[in-house]
Amino acid sequence: MHERLSFHIKRDSVLHRLNPLTKLVLTLALIFLAFTFPWYWMPHLLILIAVIPLSLLGKVFREFWLTALKLILPAAGFLFLMQAFFQPIGTDVIFKFYFLDITSESLMFAFKNAMRVFVMVSAFTLFLLTTHPSELMSDLTRRGLPGQFAYVIISTLQIIPQMQAKAQTIISAQRSRGLDTESTFFKRAGSVLPLVGPLVFGSLVEVEERAIAIEARGFTSKHAKTSLHEIPDSDFDKILRWILFALIVFSIGLNLWLS
Amino acid sequence: MFEKIKNNFNTQTWVLIPIAIAINIAVGQIVLALKLPVYLDSIGTVLVAALCGPWAGALTGALSNIIWGIAIDPNALPWWPVAFMIGYMAGRMAQWGFFKSWWKVVVTGFVVAITAALVSTPIAVYLYGGITASGSSFITAYLMQTGSDMISAVFSTNFLVEPVDKITTAMLAFAIVLGMPKRMIGGYPKASQVETEGVQSTTQLYIAIGVVVLLVLFAAFMLRNILGG
Repeated sequence: MHERLSFHIKRDSVLHRLNPLTKLVLTLALIFLAFTFPWYWMPHLLILIAVIPLSLLGKVFREFWLTALKLILPAAGFLFLMQAFFQPIGTDVIFKFYFLDITSESLMFAFKNAMRVFVMVSAFTLFLLTTHPSELMSDLTRRGLPGQFAYVIISTLQIIPQMQAKAQTIISAQRSRGLDTESTFFKRAGSVLPLVGPLVFGSLVEVEERAIAIEARGFTSKHAKTSLHEIPDSDFDKILRWILFALIVFSIGLNLWLS
Repeated sequence: MFEKIKNNFNTQTWVLIPIAIAINIAVGQIVLALKLPVYLDSIGTVLVAALCGPWAGALTGALSNIIWGIAIDPNALPWWPVAFMIGYMAGRMAQWGFFKSWWKVVVTGFVVAITAALVSTPIAVYLYGGITASGSSFITAYLMQTGSDMISAVFSTNFLVEPVDKITTAMLAFAIVLGMPKRMIGGYPKASQVETEGVQSTTQLYIAIGVVVLLVLFAAFMLRNILGG
C-alpha cells in the first residue's frame, strides 16, 4: 500500500481541533503580516510570539522543527547568504572578498528577507502538520467549493507517491537494459525519452477508465451531497477568523498609508 | 466568458488534471536525477492545455505548484502564478493552431517561455528582493553587482534560462500527443486542436531540435559574455 502524501500528524490538541478554514486564515494572516507590516522587526517578532507558541500549542514542536531544519533552513540560509553578498545597497562595508562585499544595509536586508520567507514556510508547515487534507477539502466543499476541486487535490495527493514508485521502477528497468543515465551530457539527455515515455503513456491509459468509474458514482451530479464526517465550526472559530481578517486588512492598509 | 471556461472541463479533464500534476512532479524529479540543466516540470501542464484548453491548463499549472508546495517543498508555493500563466498561454497557442507541427510547437514553447519570464520577474523582485534560492540567481546577483537595476537583471536572467526549458517541454508534450492513439485523444474537449497536419516529417523534427541546440549555444555564449565582462 502506498502512503498518501501529506505532512499531517494525528494528535489531539487545540490547534488540531480548530476548524480547517480558521487555520488557513491564520496561516494567511501570518504571511501577510510578515510581508506587509511596515516595521523591520515584525517577522522576527512573529516567530517569537506566534510560530513557536503555535507549534507548542499544536503539540508538534519536535516535528515542526525537524521539518523546518530540513526544508526551510537550507533555502532561507542560502537566500540570506546570496542577498547579504550580492545586494548592491549601502556604503558601510563590513567585509570584503574580491568583488563581493557585505554592507550593514545589505546584511539587514538579507536578514529581514530570510526571516520573511522563514515565517511564510513555517506558517504553511504548521498548517499542514495539524490539518488533514481531506478534512480541509470536505470543510471547503461544504462552504461551496466545487467538488471537482476537492477531487483533483485529494486524488493528486494519492497519485503522486504511486507515480514516483512507477518512475523508480522504470528507471531501474531501463538501467538493467543498459540505458546510460550517468555518463556524458548527450547520453543523459538522450535517456529522457525512454524514461518519460513509458511513465506518461502508462498513466494516460488509466484516464478513460477512471472517468467512467467516477461518472458512474455521480461525479457530475448537481444534487447536494451528504457527508459522513461532520467538521465542527464553533463560535470561537468564527470570531477568531474575523479578528485575523481584520489584522490582515489593518496591516495592508498601514503599509499603503505609510508608503 | 463563463461558458468558455466551462467548455474546457468535462469528466475526462477532471481525471486528467491529477495525473498531469503527478506527471509534472515525477518527470521533474527524473530530470533532476539525470542532472540536466533544465527543469521540465510542466510537461503535464502543457499537455492538459493542448488537449483541454487554456483554463484547464492554467488550473493544472497553479494546482501543480500549490500541491508541490503543500506536499514536497513549501518554497514552491509563491510561484503558482507563473505556472498558471504557462498553462494559460500554452492553451491559447494551441487554440490559435500552434500545436500542430514541430516548428509551430517550438514557437509555442518560446512564447510560453517569455510569458514565464515576465510573470516570475515581479515575484522574484517583490518577494525575494531579486535574488531567490535557485542556482540561476548567481547570474542575477552578478548583473546587479555590475550595475544593472534589479528588475532588468532578474528579467534578463529569466530570459536566458527559460526558453530552452519551455521549448523542450512543449516538444516533449507534442511527442506524447503524437504517440497517443487517436481513440485516447477523442474524449478531451479540445481534441481537434492537436490534429496534426499531414504526416509529421522527421526532417522538421531535426530542424526543431537544431533550433533548440542553437538556442542553447546562444544562451551559453551570452552567459560567457555577461560573466566575462
